[in-house]
Amino acid sequence: MDPQQPEPVVYLCGDCGAECPLKSGDVIQCRDCGYRILYKKRTRRIVQYEAR
Amino acid sequence: MVSQQDDMVSQQEDFGANPNLLAAPIKSPVDKFQLLPAFLKVRGLVKQHIDSFNYFVNYGMKKIMEANALHKVTDTIYLRYINISVGEPYVAIDNIKLTPQFCRLSDRTYSADISVDIEYTDGKGQHPTRKTSVKIGRLPIMLRSCNCVLNGKDETELAKLGECPLDPGGYFVVKGTEKVILIQEQLSKNRILIDIDGKGRITASVTCSTHEVKSKTVFFMDKEKIYLQLNQFVKPIPIMVVMKAMGTESDQEVVQMVGRNPRYGDLLLPSIQECSSERIYSQEQALDYMDAKFNFFKSCSIQLFITSFSTLKEGRAKSILTDVFLAHVPVKEQNFRPKCIYAAVMLRRMLDAILNSDTFDDKDYVGNKRLELSGQLVSLLFEDLFKTMNTQAVQRMNYAMGQSNRSGALDFSRYIVTDIITLGLEKSISTGNWDLKRFRMHKKGVSQVLSRLSYIGALGHMTRISPQFEKTRKVSGPRALQPSQWGMLCPCDTPEGEACGLTKNLALMTHVTTDEEEGPLISLCYSLGVEDLAHLSAEEIYANDSYLVFFNGLILGKHTRPHTFANAMRRVRRSGKIGEFVGFRTFDDFLHDGLIEYLDVNEQNNALIALYEHEAGEIDRSEITHIEIEPLTLLGVVAGLIPYPHHNQSPRNTYQCAMGKQAMGNIAFNQLSRADTLLYLLVYAQRPLLTTKTIELVGYDKLGAGQNATVAVMSYSGYDIEDAIVMNKSSLDRGFGRCIAMKKQTVVRENYGGKVSDIIVAPQRDKDGALIRKNMQILGADGIAEPGQIVRNNDMLVNKKSPLNVDKDLKTRTYKDTPAFFKGVEGETTVIDRVLIYTDNNEKMPIKFIIRHVRRPELGDKFSSRHGQKGVCGTIVNQEDFPFSERGICPDLIMNPHGFPSRMTIGKMIELLGGKAGVSWGRFHYGSAFGEPSGNACKVDDISNALIQKGFSYSGKDFLYSGILGTPLQAYIFMGPIYYQKLKHMVLDKMHARAKGPRVMLTRQPTEGRSRDGGLRLGEMERDCLIAYGASMLIFERLMLSSDPYQVQVCQKCGLLGYYNQKLKKSFCSMCKDGENMATMKLPYACKLLFQELQSMNVVPRLKLTEA
Amino acid sequence: MSKGSFTSALNMPDVPMGKLPDHLEVQRTRVVCKADAPIHTEGIQFSGAYAAVGVDNSNPLDKFKRDFKIDVIRLTKDEMEFDMIGIDAAIANAFRRILISEVPTMTIDKVFMVDNTSPIVDEVLAHRLGLIPLDADPRLFEYMSEHDVPNERNTIVYRLNVSCEKGSPRLTVKSDQLEWLPDGSKLHEVAPSYPGEQQKTYTSFSGSQLEVSRRALGVKHKDITIARLGPGQTIELEAHAVKGIGKVHAKWSPVATAWYRMLPEVILLKEIKGEEAKKLVKKCPVKVFDIEDLGNGEERAVVKSPRACTLCRECLRGESEEQIELRRVRDHFIFTIESASALPPEVLFKEAVEVLHEKCDRVISELS
Repeated sequence: MDPQQPEPVVYLCGDCGAECPLKSGDVIQCRDCGYRILYKKRTRRIVQYEAR
Repeated sequence: MVSQQDDMVSQQEDFGANPNLLAAPIKSPVDKFQLLPAFLKVRGLVKQHIDSFNYFVNYGMKKIMEANALHKVTDTIYLRYINISVGEPYVAIDNIKLTPQFCRLSDRTYSADISVDIEYTDGKGQHPTRKTSVKIGRLPIMLRSCNCVLNGKDETELAKLGECPLDPGGYFVVKGTEKVILIQEQLSKNRILIDIDGKGRITASVTCSTHEVKSKTVFFMDKEKIYLQLNQFVKPIPIMVVMKAMGTESDQEVVQMVGRNPRYGDLLLPSIQECSSERIYSQEQALDYMDAKFNFFKSCSIQLFITSFSTLKEGRAKSILTDVFLAHVPVKEQNFRPKCIYAAVMLRRMLDAILNSDTFDDKDYVGNKRLELSGQLVSLLFEDLFKTMNTQAVQRMNYAMGQSNRSGALDFSRYIVTDIITLGLEKSISTGNWDLKRFRMHKKGVSQVLSRLSYIGALGHMTRISPQFEKTRKVSGPRALQPSQWGMLCPCDTPEGEACGLTKNLALMTHVTTDEEEGPLISLCYSLGVEDLAHLSAEEIYANDSYLVFFNGLILGKHTRPHTFANAMRRVRRSGKIGEFVGFRTFDDFLHDGLIEYLDVNEQNNALIALYEHEAGEIDRSEITHIEIEPLTLLGVVAGLIPYPHHNQSPRNTYQCAMGKQAMGNIAFNQLSRADTLLYLLVYAQRPLLTTKTIELVGYDKLGAGQNATVAVMSYSGYDIEDAIVMNKSSLDRGFGRCIAMKKQTVVRENYGGKVSDIIVAPQRDKDGALIRKNMQILGADGIAEPGQIVRNNDMLVNKKSPLNVDKDLKTRTYKDTPAFFKGVEGETTVIDRVLIYTDNNEKMPIKFIIRHVRRPELGDKFSSRHGQKGVCGTIVNQEDFPFSERGICPDLIMNPHGFPSRMTIGKMIELLGGKAGVSWGRFHYGSAFGEPSGNACKVDDISNALIQKGFSYSGKDFLYSGILGTPLQAYIFMGPIYYQKLKHMVLDKMHARAKGPRVMLTRQPTEGRSRDGGLRLGEMERDCLIAYGASMLIFERLMLSSDPYQVQVCQKCGLLGYYNQKLKKSFCSMCKDGENMATMKLPYACKLLFQELQSMNVVPRLKLTEA
Repeated sequence: MSKGSFTSALNMPDVPMGKLPDHLEVQRTRVVCKADAPIHTEGIQFSGAYAAVGVDNSNPLDKFKRDFKIDVIRLTKDEMEFDMIGIDAAIANAFRRILISEVPTMTIDKVFMVDNTSPIVDEVLAHRLGLIPLDADPRLFEYMSEHDVPNERNTIVYRLNVSCEKGSPRLTVKSDQLEWLPDGSKLHEVAPSYPGEQQKTYTSFSGSQLEVSRRALGVKHKDITIARLGPGQTIELEAHAVKGIGKVHAKWSPVATAWYRMLPEVILLKEIKGEEAKKLVKKCPVKVFDIEDLGNGEERAVVKSPRACTLCRECLRGESEEQIELRRVRDHFIFTIESASALPPEVLFKEAVEVLHEKCDRVISELS
């Protein structure tokens, strides 16, 4: 959320599940339904688990 | 006597029309059970809370407003409230409807606006101005109450709102935490209680409570004379003086009012004599006498209420008699007669008690208790705040009027401060402190955080009753099980230890009533032939065939044919004309149409209630008035989970009630979208094989907290002593007892006002593209750790920076790093489950991390069956070493048989049998409390037969082979499924050891407690052992070398501590001013500290050294 | 040692030479299941226990070879019941224990989670995957030790890539949606810096795994529920299966369970006739007894199928306790193997024997 880093990060709406790209300083609110809690998207990095 | 009650009533089915009809087969008793689900569907499990809150919102609030409607500044300037209402919960800023789940997640209060319609004048002689929908504050809304958005929603709609359909509601969400207002137990108000006080005196006391005043009136007998004790008087007042002060000047009339029985007269004689010896004959003399005894200081707070009356010294006694003495009996137009009669009745009851000790009242009798519910408690709070708000508004108005340079009209509505109510309610509910000076109420812990450890724990929390006494009192009376508790309060569910027997829980079907409109009932009574007391002479009150009619502690009048009256009332009740909770008391039995009827504790005394229809044969059927719907409903929600509780030793059921609340399982359908600080979930929760009807009713079969484990009752390996259990490793591998622990960690991006706030930046990289710090690995592009990543201790969660200055120019603003790290245990694989971001009311941006940890059971984890039999996992054994049966069945866990003889949990054995029959037939068996006669619990005989048909032994004992030797075991083993709960106490959260670590600054001794990485204390008893053993060097090492060794310089001459001068390399005594005779020694730093502390208060400790 | 009048007790006429008296013979060869508890469960191990009676209690190899017998009673794809006769409980038990914990299988052990937005959390999903039996012959593979590189001889790679479209109904993910990747992992350890860059994956296969397995490696049961997905939820992962044994984790156990029971023997101590016989027949839930018509209008109870006895002890309840004796034959095992892996039960048993063989070899080589 740095001004030098204008690339928006995508969050998920806590109510409707819509994707919601936000930049630093944006209001935390879903653009579709106006819900004010956003979830961070799951990492795409591979995580290794033991199947035990 | 008849009285209307606001209290607990349980439900009974009234079966009888008349004795002849009884012979006709009604329904088989099993059918009665069908009533239960229907009943709970209508009522819900926590209807008490919701009903009482609804009553407050719909009626209570209006009553408070009406009582405080008019506020005058001058005769022409006033403010009048016309109407009050509560809206729907919504967000203040952008008018979005609030949902409870949103409030939970974003730490908000689930509240709605209170709006009023007002009328006010500005003093310029104009017509009063009217304003509608003026907001005066916000009221936290109880979930599922009539103002809640969840009200009347079906399952899918609830799911859409993120709510669990099984959640009962009945609590508040304040600042994101769920708060329950506990049911408060209180002594019945407006009721005469005859008792013996601490000094052995007979007393008659009434705790009066009306909307305006709360007071306690006590009559007591001292040296054969009767006195009145009131806080407002410095000394007790002779009772005859009081009677005279109220206008009953004739002694004869008093005696008549008490009763014509000569023995009453004899007992009253000393009191009458005392009065005449004081030379008090008239009303004026009596009032003068009482004025002299007036206690000014104690009455100060009461002054508030009696300011409308004369504040002159002379008038005080009279105003106290009007407003404080027996406050619930109204005085209309200076007519003290009802109060006189009431006082006479109190006297009569006292004298009755002297003549016949059976007529003493029992304070612990449930019928003498009342339950105060959340609605009433919130109402008290609201009343206090509403009054404060109005006085403040009046004060501000006064101030504004005094202001000379005022411009424009005075607008009263502008002086109403809305924050008072909003913040006041929020503060009290979130802290649990009810501090109401106006009502002299200072209660702590009224509201508690709803325990969400398990579904049943939350339910149990909602039905809990907090005690009226302090827990420290070592009394047995209030703690004992009262027979009158039957059907009202659960006999099993109470904590162990200090609150034992004081904290109680409601039974399954208990209903707690709210107030009922009084007016229509009173007129109904009169029209049914009650003669008003006002028209009767003292003599007539106790005529032979007259019976007094009480109405909510008030004497209405008398009736000559009480049975007819009671029957008539009852008929009205059953026909639904008056509320079903209007209780009765007479000496007879009645027969009526087959209806369900609520009986209150006092009415139960006059009813003969059968458990089952067929049981009725043992007594004369015509005498039975009611039949219980189901005996299982006498237990509460939590005790209802126990199968066959009536076969267990009673403390075991109590233990299970405490443990059932700690069991891990499914909390709610929305459990994975909740953000609690700590949440334990079972991965594969099951529904118990041996169920009860209660389990089905409360939904425990949908949100279970345990697993059906195949248990072999045998000794194995020696690691099963003291209730430890042996677990099968393969079962654990396959997911038995696996649980998820979710913890919350919140990081707040602060806002310092005026667009100055913390910033969160992407992880910094060096020129090779590598992260500058290794612990930044899990950060995303926005500088916040990403869900799904494995997080280790000291990993960075948020790459946050805080501003050092507040320069407007962003370029010159400098920041310092204030990153947030994950605090976890080393070596644990924890994963970030979710990350929530939102903005709160103060423009701050909290980031909530839900961190999850999946655990498999390990050595020392605590498990328990549903019979108060807890045990830790003693060892984990490979499956091949476990015994196996002829069918190849291998137990999941082994329990030591020594757990049975001393615990006497026969219910557990029957559960095993029933479970085994259940799995082999593929169905669920029932074990409801006292359910065998009604078919709600399977009989052992039937279970045994079912087992035999499947080729098992009737006893549940199987022929097992040893897994180690391969030969058969030397005994048949009792084996079958038992529902086991995993309790929240896990070794992982508790284990702790330290070699060296942090120390306390003051004493330089190791810190205490696991959270501070503290040392393990060698306590006094351990020290005693070492002394007894003579291990002096060990004591020396433990108590000094390993704790707080310190080197001191001691002056051998003066015996005081000196210091070591580093420059001169020489020790020095500051007392003797020289460095001679100095010795060096070691002592605990705490000891040196003690010496110095003693010195600081002029005590000189001197060390006499024998050997330097 | 006195002069001529010495007579050994063994030479007394009423001592049966070379044969044990009946009660001792029962004790030696049977476990007797009394109503309250079984007796003689351990048996007599010492070879010279009956030397005084002139009976040799040892079991020399040639005798064992002669007497040992295996009868297969029932054999299906996944289940086998056979009788193992003439062997000690310790050896039979050894086979059972080895079957459960030491015969290797191939099972998913490492899960590389790319995406999982299902309600099942990653760890639990991984655990569930681990418990799915795979259709891969473990004999074709090698164990992977700590420093080994995953290759086509020690690792099988599966991919699960399912998602539930928004707006569609809930989706149940079944085990057959696990897709075998014969060429190894398709996931890159580090994200490629340019498209098409050849990057290191999580495995280093030198060729297709088909060379090793000669057939496709799927799952054993296609209908095991792995997870349920709501609309918009996705699972994307790669699961790596390796060879292992049940001792480490139950998921590597090749059997659902393997067990034995000793052959039941039901003895009527007295003749049971008439009504009593009928009662007895009725009592037994597994129909061990039957009625025999004696011809002269009389009926008596006989033991029809002792093998069915489940030892419910119903027949011992009440007055008939003295009339019936339930026994188990000590050296006759009814062995059942329920396979839950790629190999059929009979092969599993052979594997178990092989494991025991290797163990013995190891003992011998360690001792010599």
